[in-house]
Amino acid sequence: MKKSTVKKLLVAMLSFAMIFAMAACGGGSSEGEEASSEGAAGALKIFNSKMEIQDVFESDLASAYEAEAGVPVEVYYSSDTVAAHLSTKYASKDPYAVNMVDEKDLYSLAKEYGADMSDMDWVKDTNYAVSVDGKVVGYPVCVEARGIIYNATAIENTLGEKFDPASIKTLDDFKALLDKLVAAGMETPTSVMKEDWSLGAHYLAQFIEEREDVDGYVASLKAGEAKVIEDPKFNALMDTFDVLKDYSMWKGQEGSAERELSEQALAEGKIAFMFGGNWDFAMMKDFDYTGGAGMMPVPQNLEDDYTGKLVGGGSKYFYVDASEGTSAETQQAAKDFLAWFASSDTAHKFVSETCGMVSPFGSNTVTCTDDLGASVKGFADADMLIPNYPGFPDDHYSVIGAEMQKYLAGQCTREELATAIENYWKAQA
Amino acid sequence: MNRNTFSYKLRQILMFAGPGTILFFAVVVVPFIYGLYLTFTSWDGVSAHKPFVGFANYAAAFSDGAYWVALGRTAIYSIFAVVFINILAFALAYLVTSGVKGQNFFRAGFFVPNLIGGIVLGYIWKFVFNRAYVAIASAITGGMAISPLSTTGGAMFCLIFVSVWQYAGYMMLIYVAGFMSVSDSLKEAAMIDGCTPSQAMRNVTIPLMRSSFVQCIFLSITRCFVVYDVNLSLTKGEPFNTSVLAAMHVYNQAFTYKNYGLGQAEALILFIVCAAVGITQVMIGKKGEVEA
Repeated sequence: MKKSTVKKLLVAMLSFAMIFAMAACGGGSSEGEEASSEGAAGALKIFNSKMEIQDVFESDLASAYEAEAGVPVEVYYSSDTVAAHLSTKYASKDPYAVNMVDEKDLYSLAKEYGADMSDMDWVKDTNYAVSVDGKVVGYPVCVEARGIIYNATAIENTLGEKFDPASIKTLDDFKALLDKLVAAGMETPTSVMKEDWSLGAHYLAQFIEEREDVDGYVASLKAGEAKVIEDPKFNALMDTFDVLKDYSMWKGQEGSAERELSEQALAEGKIAFMFGGNWDFAMMKDFDYTGGAGMMPVPQNLEDDYTGKLVGGGSKYFYVDASEGTSAETQQAAKDFLAWFASSDTAHKFVSETCGMVSPFGSNTVTCTDDLGASVKGFADADMLIPNYPGFPDDHYSVIGAEMQKYLAGQCTREELATAIENYWKAQA
Repeated sequence: MNRNTFSYKLRQILMFAGPGTILFFAVVVVPFIYGLYLTFTSWDGVSAHKPFVGFANYAAAFSDGAYWVALGRTAIYSIFAVVFINILAFALAYLVTSGVKGQNFFRAGFFVPNLIGGIVLGYIWKFVFNRAYVAIASAITGGMAISPLSTTGGAMFCLIFVSVWQYAGYMMLIYVAGFMSVSDSLKEAAMIDGCTPSQAMRNVTIPLMRSSFVQCIFLSITRCFVVYDVNLSLTKGEPFNTSVLAAMHVYNQAFTYKNYGLGQAEALILFIVCAAVGITQVMIGKKGEVEA
């Protein structure tokens, strides 16, 4: 062979190697290995967006379903934002058959791509199915609720008497108990998180959610008619917020309130109360957890239909893809899987025991292994949950959360907060 | 073999420039043009439909107060960061080329922060500001110190501080190369002619290093204008969204608030601002460049 031919060959090989190496890099970095969905032929592709259950979903549940129904299942997870990840799957015409999304995403994704599941049996077994345009498209995965998390063990150890969360009905009851705890040596019995989603989307949102005609109230906010500062619900909740803030372990340094440290203090019994939700248990159980945690409603000096209830409902939702990327057989296989997931004993145990989630299905009577979840299940079974309002704009938590952060840090008054809320809604009109 | 034919030349060009050009088109030019198209739609980032809305997104971008506040904040952040990065980088470069003992070790040491990714770096410094600083300051003053990240000015200070720490070592390398390119004989000649060391630095070394300054300032400006990773992991826009820089606002607009078209339009404006500032600076800088 001539020398120049060898050289040419080498150069050609090198340049091809470069292209392939770079193409490989490009493919790898945009989607993690776990998110590539070229699986075995015929397998049902499920997208899971609850990171904490990915391992058991893949190992326990997928194999159990294959053993029982004979259909192989592949479970995928992506660290990307749910909507962003799924939109790339749609763009590449390779959607998952079953997709786990947040309720908000149902109104954009499932509205367009979701299969109608109205006639399925599980719909009658739950209060949390979501309909869009008159069709049931959202299949609830679990129930989550927010309220005050208490640590009964910490309270009982400090006061030396039994704690009954049902005895705390009003803010006055709550304050009296906090004073007793302080007197008995627990200097700062509460905590408030500073996260905008907690303050804006979870705490403040309650004043809109806890009323008869939520849509009507939102409409009057948009029209600039509602006076937030005169609203009794707003004031009742903010009075409670002031108390939580006054007795907080972060008093004076509210801006540094780190979520993990609050959860740790609550789990270890250094504080007794914190506003949060049953998802906080996943973190709490990893510390030196004293046991005895539970959820109770946010106590308010305002008695109405919502007293004694938590705010919550379905948290993650499955929808079945009905776009052209999923064949009719695959859609049926996906529906069969969901029917099995709602009714089989294996799935019930998986949801309540293995994952410690609160099942949205009445037929699931397996006890939830998660303390806060068990507490929420009690409220759910007694029909004591106030539904989440799904109509908040996407930037609500961030904009209003920032205003709440200001209020938390003492940088604005309640009147200024109320005005900011009114202005936000007026701009949405 | 005749090396003067068209086909030979074409083959040579394809072989050497082809792969790079294809990749450049695939990952830069095509997405850019597609992005440009998306600014004329009201796409939410998810739907299969991309309704055409003309210039509505640009109108919305110009009336998005939060965006312009974020852009203004980014300009302030960039001015401070660029000035301090370059002063520090120049000082460090001077130090590690002046013949101190173990200067290679110092060069490597100052460069290391640049090897840590922005996200990790943000989390490390968040810990330092939120925990270590608070614990030490509380112990010293006996009172209860608050984290600088929880105050409006403090969060911006922290962002600038961390960026300076991250980039100074990188820019230092370019300045080191600049220092090394200035021949010792020129400095010696200046000294023999009666210059003091500081006069020789001001009148001989620095003018000859002008291209290093142009490069470093260009790199630091363009990086600061589009910073996102440190912003996300260090402050996340807190407190009360007062440390949201332009790139973070654009990301939120496109992905969190699901206004993809608007976010894309704002990104384009950010790109134009950034490019204009960068190019102006390079043109001014290049004008007075001198050759030894």
